[in-house]
Amino acid sequence: MKTVLINCSPKKHFCASAYFLFLQSLFVGGEKVKGKLRSHADYARLLEQLRDAQAVVFGLPLYVDSVPSHVLRFLEEMETFCRENGLKLRVYCVANNGFIEGKQNEPLMQVFENFCARTGLAWGGGVGIGGGVMLNVTRILFIVEIGLLVLNTVLSVVNTGDLFPKAAWISFAENTALLLFFNMGVLFYLSGMGRAIGKGTAFGKKYTRILIPSFVFILFADIFFTIISLLQGGIFRGWLAKKE
Amino acid sequence: MKVILYDLGSEYEALIESKCDRALAADGKYAPCQGCFGCWTKHPAECFMKDKLRRVCRLIGRADELVIVTKNLYGGYSAAVKNVLDRSIGTSTPFSTYRGRQMHHTLRYGKHDLWKVVVYGEVSETEKDTFRYMAERNAVNDGYERSEVVFLEDMAELEAAL
Repeated sequence: MKTVLINCSPKKHFCASAYFLFLQSLFVGGEKVKGKLRSHADYARLLEQLRDAQAVVFGLPLYVDSVPSHVLRFLEEMETFCRENGLKLRVYCVANNGFIEGKQNEPLMQVFENFCARTGLAWGGGVGIGGGVMLNVTRILFIVEIGLLVLNTVLSVVNTGDLFPKAAWISFAENTALLLFFNMGVLFYLSGMGRAIGKGTAFGKKYTRILIPSFVFILFADIFFTIISLLQGGIFRGWLAKKE
Repeated sequence: MKVILYDLGSEYEALIESKCDRALAADGKYAPCQGCFGCWTKHPAECFMKDKLRRVCRLIGRADELVIVTKNLYGGYSAAVKNVLDRSIGTSTPFSTYRGRQMHHTLRYGKHDLWKVVVYGEVSETEKDTFRYMAERNAVNDGYERSEVVFLEDMAELEAAL
């Protein structure tokens, strides 16, 4: 059983698609091959990997309600390759979008479904995740939490000789549980899809999101973009400037 | 203003240009979006890549009527057309709002009128459904009042559809 997991994010580092594919790979057994799709240079290597695979999982961001253009180009090549070589794969996808509603990935899922119908491949289904960027941030926060715990332990050992500062551990446990809670919907569906991949069955289309109320999400998203725009200088270059 | 975005060859250029205020050829001679959000946060409504799509959102953003002529690809836009759309997200700002009871970005250039898609090439019934649904979603997302999808049986129908 060989599964190819393709990270289709155009970003080099810290992409949400990589995070979700990592979580997906935790629930997939057998041989797993991870690949990155950023440009035409990646096509040949990825297509060769598909030759003896039973399943392929696309991890990708939602761009303008659909599949990013560089992935569409790959799908066209893949269609030809699969036809020429008579490949029979099952296709799954893990899509994420910046908006909070995972359901906004529906048109993207339909495009993959239509791709499978055209190519003669089996559509395995997918998980559409809302609030992908913010969920991706939770993994950084988790690392920060570990850092804080280590720091507090060192300070505690230096100051009192206590190797297990209780307050720091409680705080770590609470915050980690909260971060885990935000990811619960994603973990639930990705584990389900992982089992489907293992059995070679269809999972269907499922939608989930970061588990926080949307008005809180929008507030955080707006604060996030204001800070980024301030740091990058765009707030003065763009929004305050006269529009063309 | 009426803008037509099309992925047809140069033989259709004259016809397309006679039917709109601005025509934009999706000829594939540009790079795909890198997902950096720079057109929102660093240099609004402008891409860091200095190709012909660098300021495309300033053109598309000012369209009252946007007509997209595209070959069918799995019930969605051709890669060349989608590339232009991906590079034009600077028509909105990074700030969010509710539109159609869902979260969307606020519009940099205000509301638009019609998002029209003219599809050519062989297309299945399922793909037609996807196309209609996607155009509807695009219209909500980009602040268009209405959407319309036309499927061409023959290229002779193009002129009437524009």
